[in-house]
Amino acid sequence: MTLTPDKPKAKARKLSMKERYSALTRDLDWDPSYVPADEMFPYTTFEGIKIHDWSKWEDPFRLTVDAYTKYQAEKDRRLYAVLDGFAQSQGHLSLTDASYLNAMKLFLQGVSPLEYQAHRNFAYLSRHLNGPGPRFASLCQSLDEIRHAQTEIHTLSNYNKYYSGFHSYLHMHDRVWYLSVPKSFFDDALSAGPFEFLIAIGFSFEYLLTNLLFVPFMSGASFNGDLPTMTFGFSAQSDESRHMTLGLEAIKFLLEQDPDNVPIVQHWIDKWFWRGYRVTALVAQMLDYMLPRKVMSWKEAFELYFEQQMLGGLFQDLAYYGIKPPRDVGKAIQEKEHLSHQAYWILYQFSHAAAFTTSVPSDETLDWLEEQYPDTFPTYRALWDKEKKNVANGGRHFVRGLPQLCQVCQIPMGFTEADSPFTICQRSVVFEGERYNFCSDGCQNIFEHEPVKFRQAWLPVHQIYQGNCGGADLGDVMQWYGMQPGDGGEYLGSPDHQNWLRWHAQADHSELGED
Amino acid sequence: MTVQFELRTQVIEPQRKTFQHLVDRYGDRPASRYEEGTIDLQATANYHFRPLWGPELDIYSPDYSLLKLADPYSYVDPRGFYYAPYVTSRADLHESFAATLGYLEKRGLFDRLPEAWRALFAEVVLPVRHYEAAAQMVSSHAARFGWGTTITQCAAYAAFDRIGNAQLLSRAGISFGGGTADSLADAKVRWLEDDALQPLRRLTEETLVERDWGLGMVRLDVTDQVLYQLLYTHLDDAAITGGAGSYSLVSQHLSGWFADQRRWFDALYKAWVADPEHGADNLATLRRTVADALAAADTALRPLAAKADELVGAGCAAALDQAVAATRTHFADLGITTEES
Repeated sequence: MTLTPDKPKAKARKLSMKERYSALTRDLDWDPSYVPADEMFPYTTFEGIKIHDWSKWEDPFRLTVDAYTKYQAEKDRRLYAVLDGFAQSQGHLSLTDASYLNAMKLFLQGVSPLEYQAHRNFAYLSRHLNGPGPRFASLCQSLDEIRHAQTEIHTLSNYNKYYSGFHSYLHMHDRVWYLSVPKSFFDDALSAGPFEFLIAIGFSFEYLLTNLLFVPFMSGASFNGDLPTMTFGFSAQSDESRHMTLGLEAIKFLLEQDPDNVPIVQHWIDKWFWRGYRVTALVAQMLDYMLPRKVMSWKEAFELYFEQQMLGGLFQDLAYYGIKPPRDVGKAIQEKEHLSHQAYWILYQFSHAAAFTTSVPSDETLDWLEEQYPDTFPTYRALWDKEKKNVANGGRHFVRGLPQLCQVCQIPMGFTEADSPFTICQRSVVFEGERYNFCSDGCQNIFEHEPVKFRQAWLPVHQIYQGNCGGADLGDVMQWYGMQPGDGGEYLGSPDHQNWLRWHAQADHSELGED
Repeated sequence: MTVQFELRTQVIEPQRKTFQHLVDRYGDRPASRYEEGTIDLQATANYHFRPLWGPELDIYSPDYSLLKLADPYSYVDPRGFYYAPYVTSRADLHESFAATLGYLEKRGLFDRLPEAWRALFAEVVLPVRHYEAAAQMVSSHAARFGWGTTITQCAAYAAFDRIGNAQLLSRAGISFGGGTADSLADAKVRWLEDDALQPLRRLTEETLVERDWGLGMVRLDVTDQVLYQLLYTHLDDAAITGGAGSYSLVSQHLSGWFADQRRWFDALYKAWVADPEHGADNLATLRRTVADALAAADTALRPLAAKADELVGAGCAAALDQAVAATRTHFADLGITTEES
């Protein structure tokens, strides 16, 4: 039998938004008493980070499960509607050029698997951090990351149906030489402890370098008629801004908890800036060379998103905690007018062993590059002029040997000295009787801090020589990589190029009349 | 004679129907978005570094659990959940719960609960939100350490579901407390101190420290099966008979969720048992783990049932016996027989 309601009680004070959020998230936590705390949280002491009070973590956003699922479901409904419409209308034909998709091949092969890795390791944080605030924030990010992996795959899946190079991106990510650059970067983060991961991915990747790593692909998409990828980019934006606030809160929290944390965090910033910066070499060449319609030059992006926003903004704030700009940042600045040219030159010569194509830049691109890089590009232009002659004589240049790789970043050792841009930089260290090679002081420093870790690196060239990659000749290795005819090499005359021309010639433009 | 509406589109024959790993696995046919977004996503080879926090195993390894599948993708989520359908389904769940809560508030139905049922809700049901929060952590552990994306994806969504359940109970608690967190604060003290809840808390903490993600999930699931039957099936029924319909209105959302949880988990038990390579070992492990976990759940929930009986006299002790027996039968139906201890 139901009772009639009591007289309304004295009106209780309602919860504020902050209190309500707290009641729904961090208040769910309790201190275990039937098992020891270090058994409950076994991974948060070995890195030397000292946390005295987890409750001091300021929740970077206040999103509960009901609000999260509502917003995200709505966003995905709109995104998938765009994907379906684009596929149905053969939208790929309105890209600027089929060669644009080289940027997206690199993205699907090199970046989407990283989103997935982030998903798995934010799940680790959502279990293994002691504080309920950061655990819940990590849980949301873990879900966002699988969203990004899946929506990227679904976005690019349509291109895979019509173009080469996309079909075996997962198999390739774990095997192909240039993809070991991003893979080893993320494996490094996953094999680190939870706090280093927070600084490596939460802070360095998602905050410090996100505008140089992730955004250029999305901007490139919008400039080149790639509506699905652009829509994905916009759709990911609100997730990304949550991730940025999480990264920023993470670093502040660690720095405020104990002064002893400062040198540890400083080292991680030094390390992960350089690790991330080296990965951006792939992005730099994409921006300057792979986009038929340019967004901005690498140099301009670096100056705006890194020098102005990070060095001029963020690091001024972090100075309060005694944090200095990353150790090797000066070298990155010195290199900014060289990086993309050197990176593309390497990829150009090795693209017969890659799942994207390259070509001598068009005259229009060469002119644009010269405008963007008046001090340095003339020298690189001379290389391309020479290569144009080779091509005209039927001798398009591919390197047939295997390059030496940097032990840390795993990029072929083709970068030059930062202060002497036409001398190849080579460093080496002997550790326990073995010699290890590096492309830069930055990579050497990272090795010297953790030689036992970095000597384990799965270096694609070493692996080929050890016979672990399908066989001794290039054909065997390509088969082991999962390459199919037309995936790599020269763009002009490639299956993608030929199909593109054929499809456009087929299109019925008679309604437009002559001319 | 009819005139057709004729829209001309350029027909371009695709070069391939889907990604190569799906063609290799399923043949040359178009793949679903679930398949493209799930199958083979986790790396299985050429890891660069051993974890600093546990160098015995690789970043991903089948050896993080005794329960193994020779091919983890022999298992697929029967719900076909990738992110988009998952969040859509949960947006609906939480919206429908919000409608219930709105109705309960508008009609002052929490205040109209019989006193005994008010006490039951405050002292037995609300504290279980902490159990749900722990279930998130156990599930997140599986989402990190499981082998193969079909399984870890289910675990990841289950983790989010559990914190969602904790929030659902908490929102009911805030409403029940007249818009304050008082009843939640009281429930937390009970979770930490009440004799009737300590065995469950102990079991929860012991489950949390299980490093083997598979065993951790099984232990949690066995406890879930018994607890959900008791709280959200048996007491739901008793509430309707006892004039506490608003309890039923809340609990329907949890029992509805649990039916969904059973779909993927029961399919996983079947896959474990049927595995051509590890099936026999899995079965032995499962029989042992389920038997232990069932006994532990029985012991842990006994005082909770007694307390519920003390408050509402709804035959919970007997219902617990039944729930344990039904769970045992459920596992037997999956091929996992356990001796009654």
